[in-house]
Amino acid sequence: MAENTIQESAAPEKENIVLDPQVVEKKEREPLFGKAERKLLTDPLSDNNPVTVQVLGVCSALAVTSVVYPSMVMAVAVVFVCAFSNLFTSIIRNHIPKQVRMIVQLVIIATLVTIVELTLKRFSYPVYKELSVYIGLIITNCIVMGRLEAYAMANKPWRSFLDGLGNGIGYGLILVVVAFIREVTGKGTLFAGSGIEIKIIGPSTEYAINTVATSGIGTWFSWYSNNNLMVLPAAAMFIIGIYIWIQRSINPKLVDIS
Amino acid sequence: MEFFNIFIKAAFIENLVLAYFLGMCSYLAVSKTVQTAFGLGLAVIFVLGITMPINWMINEYLLSENGLLGMDLTFLRFILFIAVIASMVQLVELVVEKFSPSLYNSLGIFLPLITVNCAILGGSLFMVSREYNFSESVAFGLGGGFGWFLAIIALAAIREKIRYSAVPPALRGLGMAFILTGLMGMAFMSLMGIDPQALGDLTH
Amino acid sequence: MHSTNYVLAFVMTMTVGVALVLALLSSSWKAKSKENEAIFNKRAILAAVKDHLGGMDPKTMSDEEVLEIFGQNVTQMALNMDGQEIDAAAVEAAGHKGGMAENIDMKKEKKKPEAERIRPLFVYKKDGKEFYILSIRGNGLWDEIWGYVALESDWNTVAGAAFDHQGETPGLGAEIKDNTSWAAQFKGEKIFDNQGNYVSIAVVKGGAAPSNPHAVDGISGATVTANGVGEMLERGLKYYLPYINKVDDSKKLSLN
Repeated sequence: MAENTIQESAAPEKENIVLDPQVVEKKEREPLFGKAERKLLTDPLSDNNPVTVQVLGVCSALAVTSVVYPSMVMAVAVVFVCAFSNLFTSIIRNHIPKQVRMIVQLVIIATLVTIVELTLKRFSYPVYKELSVYIGLIITNCIVMGRLEAYAMANKPWRSFLDGLGNGIGYGLILVVVAFIREVTGKGTLFAGSGIEIKIIGPSTEYAINTVATSGIGTWFSWYSNNNLMVLPAAAMFIIGIYIWIQRSINPKLVDIS
Repeated sequence: MEFFNIFIKAAFIENLVLAYFLGMCSYLAVSKTVQTAFGLGLAVIFVLGITMPINWMINEYLLSENGLLGMDLTFLRFILFIAVIASMVQLVELVVEKFSPSLYNSLGIFLPLITVNCAILGGSLFMVSREYNFSESVAFGLGGGFGWFLAIIALAAIREKIRYSAVPPALRGLGMAFILTGLMGMAFMSLMGIDPQALGDLTH
Repeated sequence: MHSTNYVLAFVMTMTVGVALVLALLSSSWKAKSKENEAIFNKRAILAAVKDHLGGMDPKTMSDEEVLEIFGQNVTQMALNMDGQEIDAAAVEAAGHKGGMAENIDMKKEKKKPEAERIRPLFVYKKDGKEFYILSIRGNGLWDEIWGYVALESDWNTVAGAAFDHQGETPGLGAEIKDNTSWAAQFKGEKIFDNQGNYVSIAVVKGGAAPSNPHAVDGISGATVTANGVGEMLERGLKYYLPYINKVDDSKKLSLN
């Protein structure tokens, strides 16, 4: 997966990230948080977003984005796994035998994911129940694998860690944005399932804007009803499709010609 | 009959791609032409079909508390499952290369990609959470693989045609692929109404 | 290229190291995780009587409160299909570690032939009143659905119900769990008619007549899941009829 997609869709990344660490590594002392490091963190948020530009990791997570709360947990889990698998792989990168490279990477990822699972089971059992199968799928989340192949195998630990952190956050960002749109328009709530559920708009008095009220602000919204389409997984595909459309309209460099 | 019901259910009603959106990365990346999609689809059927029973046996006889070791080793489940998948993929690659070089040439590059296809690991994890027995897990593996195969062929065929349409430049390629997948997912939802009682229900 | 020996040594070291770390974590957290699971289940059981918990919400109350209520107000028993109470050894023999009624894994039971199944029954006592909480399990659209139904001491009027699901569509089928006002409809419904015949509670697409004590409204857009709930209630509550008939003979034992 990794090699393939990166070749076809992340050409800009090769130019500015994969090459420039070599330049930096020649320096006597590396800055802990210089310009290049900041770029590692911020690039994946927009122009090199793992989901919308590199097309990595679309797989496991779309199903959890129907409400915000589980997608936030998922995002945190992916950031953790992505950052630390990058870190550990980078530390042992010169000792990994080429023949079993892939298995070694997968073992590192699977171990971290198991730690996430055990932690959730221990500290937040209801969330564990909610996400059970999808936590396991972080292992095959192509972002994690993709970053190990494309970055951590060739770079020093601190920068690899930042790269993992940045990509994890870029991924989590898309997750939360999609979940936000879907939850508000689909269910009319926010953070459902957590302790601080906010009911925004809906057809009963429990909601802040009551669309069936006979007086007050609710009467202005009598035409509105929450859209069941948005809670279906298909809606996530539409939202990401439109997100890509907007992003590429703003930045035509990202358009692939194929 | 159970076997057949689970196969149909996994292939159509609960299609791994269009209902659960699993295996999305390779699905979007390798669906540019029907020919390559066909090769990858076949490889997925094959790998899903053999890893599922193997993982079932590992889970049942090695990891579970009532297994051969008599210890609850479920915390090793992820690692063993992914190791089985990776080594099976490697094995398939070797076998195909030795016995059918022509098939290897058409499949070759896609085989390693299958290791990180979420549909494969996802299948094994669904199998555990739904507590399928051995024959059910074989049926689920083959059905799931077949559904994935159909879905990627369908998307590739549409993408081949849509190249001649006037899609807005910014939406061309990836953006359109997302929206198409969403539409196909909605179309597949019409299969949802099929009574699971008649199709998939085994136990009542 | 590294030598084969190096590769083997590397893989061995890595495997042993990783297995050790995970085994350590897993074993040191295992007790607490098991406890979390038990509390999670107890919470689900109490959700069926949530209007009778003295103002506490089973979703938000603390783990200690759950354990306290369960310890003080709840008694539990396991029943076989003839309505006889069975002992802990029999429950263990049926494949449920722990032997308590709360340990009965309904998923396992669902796979057994009907005649061999066992059921848990929870009796919740509060301010001199008794509630009987029955456990049911069936099929939704995608996967299994399950729930607990609390009956008042007349073994007829529903005091509350709570449902859960494995993988119903969020916002549609998942409303059986998420939409508390949907589950609240079951309160006050009756499972026997005036002659004591078992009729269960139907889930009616398009809305049930408010005067009908044996039907509730369906969920728009989730007909299959809603029908699944109706079917699950019909079948699941019937399993308890032999026992109900024993303790209250005004209820007819109609197992058809």
